[in-house]
Amino acid sequence: MEQPIITIKDLTYRYRGQKRNAIESISLEVNPGEFIAIMGASEAGKSTLAACINGLVPHFFRGKFSGEVQVCGKNTRTSRVAEMAEVTGMVFQDFEAQLFSTNVELEVAFGLENFNVPREEIARRVDEALRFVGLENMKRRPPATLSGGQKQKLAIASVLAMYPKVLVMDEPTTDLDPISKAGVFEIANHLRQRDDLTLLVVEHETEEVLEAQKILLLDEGKLIRYAPAHEVLCEVDLLEQHGVMPLGVTKYFHRMGINSHAPLTIAEGLQKFKDNQWRLSEATYESLKQQDQAREQRYGAPLIRCENLQFAYPNGTQALRGINLEIRRGEIVAIVGQNGSGKTTLVKHFNGLLMPTGGQIWVDGRPTREQGVFELGRKVGYVFQNPDHQIFSNTVYDEVAFTLRLRKVDEKTIRQSVTEALEAVGLAGYENADPFSLTKSGRQRVAVASVLAAKPEILILDEPTTGLDYNEQRSMMNLVRRLNEQGSTIIFVTHHMWVVAEYAHRVYVMKDGQIFLQGTAREVFSHDQELVDAYLRPPLHVMFSNQLGKTLLTVDEMIACTETQPQE
Amino acid sequence: MDSEIYLDRDTFFHRLDPRTKIAILLITFVIVLYYQNPLWIMPISALVLLHGVLADSLINLKRIRYIMFVLAVSGLILWNLFASGETKLFWIFTVESLAYSLGRVLIMLTLITAGMIFMSTTRNEEFVIGMIRLGLPYRVGFAISTALRLVPTIVSSVFIIAQAQRSRGLDLDSGNILERIRKYLPLLVPVFVSTIRNTNVFGMALEAKGFGAREERTFYLDVKMQRADYWMLGLMFVIFIVTTYLKIRGFGNIPGLIRF
Repeated sequence: MEQPIITIKDLTYRYRGQKRNAIESISLEVNPGEFIAIMGASEAGKSTLAACINGLVPHFFRGKFSGEVQVCGKNTRTSRVAEMAEVTGMVFQDFEAQLFSTNVELEVAFGLENFNVPREEIARRVDEALRFVGLENMKRRPPATLSGGQKQKLAIASVLAMYPKVLVMDEPTTDLDPISKAGVFEIANHLRQRDDLTLLVVEHETEEVLEAQKILLLDEGKLIRYAPAHEVLCEVDLLEQHGVMPLGVTKYFHRMGINSHAPLTIAEGLQKFKDNQWRLSEATYESLKQQDQAREQRYGAPLIRCENLQFAYPNGTQALRGINLEIRRGEIVAIVGQNGSGKTTLVKHFNGLLMPTGGQIWVDGRPTREQGVFELGRKVGYVFQNPDHQIFSNTVYDEVAFTLRLRKVDEKTIRQSVTEALEAVGLAGYENADPFSLTKSGRQRVAVASVLAAKPEILILDEPTTGLDYNEQRSMMNLVRRLNEQGSTIIFVTHHMWVVAEYAHRVYVMKDGQIFLQGTAREVFSHDQELVDAYLRPPLHVMFSNQLGKTLLTVDEMIACTETQPQE
Repeated sequence: MDSEIYLDRDTFFHRLDPRTKIAILLITFVIVLYYQNPLWIMPISALVLLHGVLADSLINLKRIRYIMFVLAVSGLILWNLFASGETKLFWIFTVESLAYSLGRVLIMLTLITAGMIFMSTTRNEEFVIGMIRLGLPYRVGFAISTALRLVPTIVSSVFIIAQAQRSRGLDLDSGNILERIRKYLPLLVPVFVSTIRNTNVFGMALEAKGFGAREERTFYLDVKMQRADYWMLGLMFVIFIVTTYLKIRGFGNIPGLIRF
C-alpha cells in the first residue's frame, strides 16, 4: 500500500478574532499523484485548508491551531513556510500580487535562488518550466506586460521550477476569461498525468474540475464529502445545497428524472439523449424566440449611443477602435470579452469617467463631453469591480448615504432612500454594521446599495459576480433582474458565461477594442466557434443544446423544450 | 498603466556591472554640485546627456517633462530670492542671481536626468545585487527593491479609487487647498485597505517561494566586473580628480555673487 503524501489529522483552526472555526475537525489523506478539487461556498474554509498544506496556517496567519498536517513527512507545525516550500508549491488567485520580478526569467528563478540552487541548474529549470507552460518566447518580457492568463501561467511555472511534490492552486482562474481559464486547466491536466506531482486546486466552477480524480466538498469548515469526482458531480442536490453550481448537463438529466449515472460531459449527454429517444420541441422553441422578440419591442428610447467611438490612453495604447452601439431603456446588456479587450474602458465612457479621443457618444441624447462626470453621475450609477476601492465609511448607513449627502439632499429623504436601497440588496438591519467586517459578497452589496440610493436610471456593474460563490452570484443577479423589472437599464461586464446566458437580454462581445459579435443572448451563444476566437465559451448546457440544433439558455428552458414521448 | 521605468535595451551602459552604474551615479551627483557658474556646470550636464543618448534612455524624460518644466521655470525665479549681486536688473533680479538660478536649475535637471538614466539602465534586481555586493545584507536590499516596486502599485490603486469616488459624485478638482485635502481623505481608507490586502498576498507568495529558506542564496543574475567596467570606473575617476582639483583651486564661481 502506498504511503499517503498528505495526512491531515483532526485539524481545527480558528483565525484570531473570529467566532467560528474556519476549519473544523477535518481528517483526510491524499495519495501521491492524485488531482483533487477543493470546492464549496464562500467562507467554507477552502483557502484556509489550502494554506494549511504549505504551512501559511499556522505560521503566517494568527489563530488557534489544533490537530496535525503532514506533507511528505514534514510536520507543518514544526517546519517554517520557507522549508515547506521545498515540497509544496502554491499559486494564488491574485496574479498581480504574487509576481515580483522585472522579467519572466528572473521570476521563475526567484524560488530556486532562495534554495541556493547552482546557476546552471537554475537556467536549465527556468527553460524547462517556461516550456511546460508555453511561455518560452517571453523570457525577457516584464510580467506586467503579460495578459492575465499568461501571468497565471508564469506563476505556475515559477512554482513548478522548484520541483514541488505537491502543488496547491487557490482559485487560479477566478479572474480569467473562459479560454484563459481553460489554458490554465490544460496545464493542470498535463501535470495530473505526471505521477510525481500531487495537485490540489481550489475552484468555484464545476466545469473546470471535470478532470479531477476526487472532489473535496467543504461547508462552514466541515468536510461534507471526499469522493471520486464523477460521483460527487452527479449529486446535483448536494452540490446546490452547499453552494456549488452543478454541471448544466448533469442538472438537466437529473431534473428529467435520470438519477443514476447522469451524464457529465456533452458527449455523454448527447448519447443519453439519443438513447432515450428524446427530442426538442419546435413549437416551444419558437415561442421562446417570440418571447425574446416581444421583450425587444418593449424597450424604450435609446439611452446610450456610440458612433465610431475610439479611445487611446495617454501612453498611446489604442483601447477602443471604433465602437458602434445603442442601448435602449429597459434592457439588460452584458459586455463580454477577453481580459484586456476594452470592456471596462468602454463602460467607463458611459458615465463620463473617460472621454473619447475619437468618435461620439451620447447619453440620454447629449454628448458626454457636454455633461461631465458629475451630471452624468445622476443618471448613471457605476459599481466598480472591487468593492474595497470605494468603501471607506465606518457604518453601512454612512457609506450608502455618501452620494446623497454630497448632493445636499435633506436627511429625511436620505434616510428613506438608504432604507430602500438596503432593503433592495438584502442588507436591511445592517445600517450600523462596519462595512469592512462584512464578507466579500456583503461588501459588494453595500457598494451596489450606495449606487442605488442615488436612484440612477442606468446601472453599470463591472464584474458583479467575480469572487462570489454560486448562491451569492444568483442572489446578486436576481437583485439586478428585479431592479430591471422596476425600470432600471442595466449594463454589466462579466466573465461568467452562465450569468450572461441566464440574465442578459442582449450581449456585446468585444475583441481587441472592437465589437466582435452582438445580438440577443440566444443569437450570440449560437455562435460557438466565433466565440472561441474571442476567448469565450458558452456554458456546457448551452453548447449541448447547440449540438442538438437549438440554442437554449437555461436548464429550465431545456426542460421546457424536451419532449420525452415519441411523436405519433 | 505603464509603470515600468527600466528599458530593456542592450547598450554598453546596460551591460555594465550595477556597481559601476552606482559609482557613475554617485560621482555625477557629487561633481555636479561643485560649481555655481552655469558655464562650468554645462560640460557635466552635456556628459550626462551624452550618457543618456548612448544608453538610449532619454525617452523616459518625456514622462516627466511637465514636472521638469515646472521645476525649471519656478527655479529660475525662486533661486533669485536666495542670492543677489552688483548688477541690478529689476525687482529681485540681478545678473549674478540670474546666473546663479540658472546654475541651480541646471544642477537640478542634471540630477534628475542622471537618476532617470540610472533607473532606465538598471533593473531592480541588479540594483539590489549591486548593493549587496557592496556589503548590504540581502534582506535589506530586498526590502528596498520591494518598496520601489510598491510605488507604482499604490499609484495605480489611487487612480482607480479616485475614479470610483468621482463616479459617486465626489468633486476632487474644485475648492481651495484645505477643502481639497479634506475631500481626498476618504480616498485614503480604500488605498490603505487595498494596499494592505495586496502586500498580504505578496508576503504569502514570498514565503511560499522559500524566501529566506537557506543562509546561502544563489544570484541568478550574473554580475561580474568586466574590462569595460574598469575602463568606465577609470574614466569616472579621472573626471572626479580633475573636477575636484578645479574646485579646490576655486574655479567655477560667479564673481560678485552674494548668497544669503
